Amino acid sequence: MTKAVILDNEIIASVIGPTGAEQRRLANNVMEKALKEAGIPFEAITYIVSTGYGRINVPFADKQVTEISCHAKGIVSLFPDARTIIDIGGQDSKGIKIDKDGRPTDFVMNDKCAAGSGRFLEVIADTLEIDLEKMGEISLTSKNPASISNLCTIWAQQEVVARLSEGVPVNDLVAGVHESLANRVSRMVRRLNIEREIVLTGGGAKNIGLVKALSNYMDYPILVPPEPLITGALGAALMGKAITEKAKTQGIQLDTKERSLQVVEIL
Amino acid sequence: MSEEKKKHKKRRTATQAAASIGPMVKEFIAGTIRAKEEARQKIAFTFIVCHHEEILAALDVLPLWTENFAGICGAIRDAERFLQRAESLGLSRSLCTYALCGIGFDQWREEIGEMPPNPPWGGQVKPDFMVSTGQILCDPRAKWYQASQLYMPDVPIYNIDMPYPLFDPKRDHRDVWGYYHKYIVKELRGFVKFVEEQTGNKMDYDRLTELVDLSDRTWNLIDETYKLRASVPSVMGTGDAMNTMVPMCFRMASQEAYDFFFNLKKELEEKIAKKEGEVEDEKYRLMWGGGLPSWFALGDFNYFNSKGAVFPVETTYRMVAPLNEMDLPETKDPIERLAWKWLGYWTFWYDKARKRPGSEPDVERLINWIEEYKIDGIVMHEAFSCRTWHVGLIWQLNQLAKIYKPIPVLTLGKGGEKTVENRELPSLILESDIIDISTYSEVDTRNRIDAFIETLESVRQSKAV
Repeated sequence: MTKAVILDNEIIASVIGPTGAEQRRLANNVMEKALKEAGIPFEAITYIVSTGYGRINVPFADKQVTEISCHAKGIVSLFPDARTIIDIGGQDSKGIKIDKDGRPTDFVMNDKCAAGSGRFLEVIADTLEIDLEKMGEISLTSKNPASISNLCTIWAQQEVVARLSEGVPVNDLVAGVHESLANRVSRMVRRLNIEREIVLTGGGAKNIGLVKALSNYMDYPILVPPEPLITGALGAALMGKAITEKAKTQGIQLDTKERSLQVVEIL
Repeated sequence: MSEEKKKHKKRRTATQAAASIGPMVKEFIAGTIRAKEEARQKIAFTFIVCHHEEILAALDVLPLWTENFAGICGAIRDAERFLQRAESLGLSRSLCTYALCGIGFDQWREEIGEMPPNPPWGGQVKPDFMVSTGQILCDPRAKWYQASQLYMPDVPIYNIDMPYPLFDPKRDHRDVWGYYHKYIVKELRGFVKFVEEQTGNKMDYDRLTELVDLSDRTWNLIDETYKLRASVPSVMGTGDAMNTMVPMCFRMASQEAYDFFFNLKKELEEKIAKKEGEVEDEKYRLMWGGGLPSWFALGDFNYFNSKGAVFPVETTYRMVAPLNEMDLPETKDPIERLAWKWLGYWTFWYDKARKRPGSEPDVERLINWIEEYKIDGIVMHEAFSCRTWHVGLIWQLNQLAKIYKPIPVLTLGKGGEKTVENRELPSLILESDIIDISTYSEVDTRNRIDAFIETLESVRQSKAV
């Protein structure tokens, strides 16, 4: 997903758009929508920070920061006591340790294996022909989560199909898939010396079944932000705001990009 | 030539010495091809870290380092066709990719009776014999040549077994190392006999003593040279050390290796005097804390450099330790000396580790070098096909975090009181392989590096003064 957050003293616009190969065009689209939602012209934006895998493809961004730092900043603004962040997104998953000022002090990342990311849930939802957003609720009705033993998303997909044909109920399969993902992510995050509070963010945090499974694996209730998809963008906006305020205090003129949303030709 | 190969840029080195390594290795490989053609010297396939270079040199045998050849194939991004060939022979891709590359190459050469087409740097010739070694947890070091022998059934193998006492926090390893020494000496004497039979040469023990002495001096010289890297700014990084490992690991027991480090030491001393750092604006000092590198992606060290990060020290390929800091029993027998050096090297950190509760030799080495080289963070590489290195990396980081927290950070309590707490060093684990490029993504790797640099920066900002 491509997201944009515009910040004044509070969030005045937040937009979540689709993602895809044409990152420059998508960045323009979400920015256009966000400006419309905020009811302000582009020139009114004092500073823009881009983040995530596509951060270098935001033509109007004044600074690029990785999602690790942005999640940290965004989450600590919502949960001042947060010290460990788990981010389960469609492309990867991460564990981030932060200090009280929202600075990352260590992190671990899985960008190699789809079975340790939100992509795993998308594939299984497709396979079972259920709505991704409903997976969490469906899994909560399970009393006997199925065991999904395959380590690879594609083989796990086939395993789910095979178990379905054996008569294993869908809710047990979905709960089993959550267990499998939570198990994998928790093992990765435990590489960090986990400190409380623990916050889950990213698309995975919208799945109540996954939150429950992960809380079990971490032996502690996990907190979830009200809108987990935008915490990275929120952190980026907070950084932009901090940069602007610091420059103002020091009387420095910030060097910013031209504020124009040109139509980008995709070659 | 693949697109991948065409686009690949050479890594920039910080030292002249490191830049001279490519031609040195090329000449070495060319030398093995000439020796084979002229049949003037016996050639032995073998592995690094066996403490047998002196014996081979004294008996006029030319070692052909098969790990090195596979690394070259990886570094020039031309390993894939040999890996695929090994796979088609029924060997799993999850085995050591050095071994797969070497076996794929050897089988191809033996099948067609000449070097495979466009052989990297001239190719790897058929050996006269093979010397394997089963220690240091690396099963390919024993199994690789057995598999190669399927395609070269007339080439004999000698396996040197060189154990060392495992670390026990409650016991002095010297209580038992005499037994190990006797065993290793016997293994090495058996090796001498085997090489004498293969070459028809008789061991000249005076010559062997000279070569062992030369290696001893080279060991101490390397240690002195690498210790210079503790200077700020860093004058030589791990990227360069992945080159300078060549004379250390492949040319030991030669005047060439001694001279190389003599010149490198001089070069580093000059750089220190001029305060000429590896990068212009040094911000973060990192340790390469383990794992073999991705030979096809050594340019990532330049990427770290572009962010102000330097690597003044690495545990990988630091295959020597200062002999003058070891308490080794005296002997005039060069074979006995080789065995003591082996035991001295592998137990080097035992005494220090015993003094720190919860520590282990590998962790102790990290702690000592974090302090000695003023390290801000640790980078490790999990190469999926190398179990030898994988086994302990994460564990080492976990132990390190438990027993050693070197970063003082000023924190404000809820009542506004200031306290200092000590935090562990941040670490980054890169995931890929030694030569299998299909495991590597430059975008993902650099995204991780970017995030790590931001983490180092945030740690720096929160450090208490």
